[in-house]
Amino acid sequence: MFGSTTSVALVGVEPQPVEVEAHVTRAAQSKFILVGLPDTAIREARERVRSAMQSSGHHFPSRCIVVNLSPADLPKSGSAYDLPMAISVLAASKMLPVGAEAVVALGELALDGSIRPVRGGLGAALAARSLGRPCLLPPESAAEAALLDGVDIRPVADLAAAVRATAVAPGAVVEPPRPPEGHTLDLADVRGQMAARRALEIAAAGGHHLLMTGAPGSGKTMLARRLPGVLPPLTPEEGFETALAWAAAGRPRGRIDRAPFRSPHHSATLAAIVGGGSGVPVPGEISLAHRGVLFLDEVGEFPPHLLDALRQPIEEGSVVVARKGAAVRFPSAVQLVGATNPCPCGYSGDRLVGCRCSQRVADRYKQRLSGPLLDRFDLRVRVTRLEAGELAGPRGEASAEVRRRVVAARKRQHARGSLNRELVGRELDAMAWSPEAKQLLTVAVRRQALTGRGWDRVRRVAATVADLDESELIGEDHMAEALAFRGSP
Amino acid sequence: MNTDDARLQLAYGGLHPDRIRDLIAERRSAAAVVRAIGAGSVRTTDRVRAAVAVDAAVRRSELQALGVEFVAKGQSAYPEHLAELPDAPDALFVRGELPLAPGVAVVGTRRCTTYGKRLAAAYGQAIGEAGWCLVSGLARGVDGAAHEGTVASGARGVAVLGCGIDVAYPPEHAFLGRRLLDLAGAIVTEYPPGTPPEGWRFPPRNRIISGLAAAVVVVEAGVKGGALITAGAALTQGVPVFAVPGDVGRASSQGTNLLIRDGAHPVLDADDLIAELELILGPVQRSVTTDQVPAEVGPVLVALEDGASADELAARLDMGPIDLVRLIGKLIAGGWIAEEGDLLVPSVPAR
Repeated sequence: MFGSTTSVALVGVEPQPVEVEAHVTRAAQSKFILVGLPDTAIREARERVRSAMQSSGHHFPSRCIVVNLSPADLPKSGSAYDLPMAISVLAASKMLPVGAEAVVALGELALDGSIRPVRGGLGAALAARSLGRPCLLPPESAAEAALLDGVDIRPVADLAAAVRATAVAPGAVVEPPRPPEGHTLDLADVRGQMAARRALEIAAAGGHHLLMTGAPGSGKTMLARRLPGVLPPLTPEEGFETALAWAAAGRPRGRIDRAPFRSPHHSATLAAIVGGGSGVPVPGEISLAHRGVLFLDEVGEFPPHLLDALRQPIEEGSVVVARKGAAVRFPSAVQLVGATNPCPCGYSGDRLVGCRCSQRVADRYKQRLSGPLLDRFDLRVRVTRLEAGELAGPRGEASAEVRRRVVAARKRQHARGSLNRELVGRELDAMAWSPEAKQLLTVAVRRQALTGRGWDRVRRVAATVADLDESELIGEDHMAEALAFRGSP
Repeated sequence: MNTDDARLQLAYGGLHPDRIRDLIAERRSAAAVVRAIGAGSVRTTDRVRAAVAVDAAVRRSELQALGVEFVAKGQSAYPEHLAELPDAPDALFVRGELPLAPGVAVVGTRRCTTYGKRLAAAYGQAIGEAGWCLVSGLARGVDGAAHEGTVASGARGVAVLGCGIDVAYPPEHAFLGRRLLDLAGAIVTEYPPGTPPEGWRFPPRNRIISGLAAAVVVVEAGVKGGALITAGAALTQGVPVFAVPGDVGRASSQGTNLLIRDGAHPVLDADDLIAELELILGPVQRSVTTDQVPAEVGPVLVALEDGASADELAARLDMGPIDLVRLIGKLIAGGWIAEEGDLLVPSVPAR
């Protein structure tokens, strides 16, 4: 009198198969015992499973039922184990055909037997594919699972449908989520801002972290939001990585081929940004922005400890979050875009309005904009506020045009092996630099216009400018452009 | 086996320089030494035997991959004044361009005071600005500070290492080394790539430092240590020694004070040092301005008036974004214009 079916637990973004075993024996008193490190939500599953089975016209055995979630030492949480439990119990009490419980199932049961969406649908599909079993999911979760090829996904709306679905061979064809019709932001909307637009293009081409400084209303946020539109489309692999991270956070990902853009507010907590939460860790904003853009508006307003915490994940491309014995790894390969006012009032250096800050306050604000994370910005550009006349100027170049050049530049980097953002001194040394380029850099150093750390930063950017120019040799012009975006916050 | 190949193979053994010299003197040629090591008739370790046995062609391709040149004594890239020393290294591993004219060495203790560090940086900068090449050991303390000074002046410097050329020691000076190379300087060692920084390798390297220099300046030194070894080597090589006086009784100045007692030239500030060095290296050509004014500067300064945003400048000069940004970068790097908030302004004071 034993039945077993499979479900999944998410460890970070990695789905781990969980066997849901049920054992039904004769007993004087009817009992329902649940073991295998379940949390409170899972304990309550007993009542939901019982009611749902009865509502769907099944007899709930008045026996001693033991349900075990294995591996027993892996902490599990959430209501997604309702459905697999019900299937196991049905199998153990011989209410399913033999072997029908060999499925991967995930879903929360309502008391009337209907099945509610849960997070982790994509993970379940991944587990189902590696086990070669059909995958039973609530219809809402089935859509996200359909991103994966080669899995027999059977969307089930209630327990009765689930029981039928265990029996039949291949399920209905599920359409992957339809991409929402794009209201994509276009660079053509940005007028003027020649230097900032060019900086954005270079940042996109080399994946460089970009810092924009400018008065309120100068268009920093407007520019940042248009960065994903000029980034190359994600490869299926990259798209899948981001979808996994999103699924782990319980959010379906719309356009899987588009680089995500996340813009957390500066009052967000550490857990919200790098990942965490009590119990099972959930990915933070930095993981939702994986393979895309993490935009920190008013970067100077973020608490210093938060900026420090971002540094390592950004450098390593993944973040380890440890909670209650479980340490999980979330992806975090992001391109950072920061925006800041030049001073607390925002108008320091503005050509139209005067600054109202005292020197002391302005200095202190500037100081907040230094530090280890801010050293990571390869490109720094001033965004100037436009006069009324300029705002009525001609529309800028469209994103599609810019993106074409970015894609070509990325192709060259791909052939070399790594994104220019990731180049280190040794690799930079090995590139082809024209004597004039070296000379110009030397001049910049001699003028004390360049700090030690800035050295490699400038060379990385120069390499990207050369890529945009489709030039193997990095020349004086390329170096000059890189030096123009050296800035100082 | 041709001679250069044999010398390369022998250098890869990483033996003590004295031993290499003795062996060559004894066996008459590097090729004979290599054969003898291979035959086991020279007492040495298995590691050295294995290293020497590797074919020169393999070594050359390894060196090429590392961007390192092998310069043997007698070749044109080997500085003549170094070759004249009786204990000149048989060969050098070189990254960058090794200057053929002698430079000025600035050396001192690794455990220096801030006083020593500041002086070393000032000397390094002054030497660079005078157009001479700084020679030092890229060590912590005085050596590193002197190199920093030279790099800040944008001049050439040579670092002589006591380990393999690809070994970052001390690790915090890896970046400094790269900047040195970017400024057309050189990093030199007589030890093969991969040699770890072992204590016994440092005293012999000091004779190369003094050998590459026309004068040795000791900034701070204890009574024992590398700086005094360098000074000792300089004395035997006939290179004049300068020493910076310090407090009597302070450990980090005891060495330099001893040197002064024994006849070294005492030096005071950087100007004093340069004046003394001019007697040895010849007068400094004090150039007013060496950079010529780029053609773009004039029109840009006119277009900027007393300040304009990048977009305004582009409109006035009728330029596209790429040309605009390149122009701005070039002129900022050259110090002709500066960024002041939203505006680009002519840089004051003009040069």
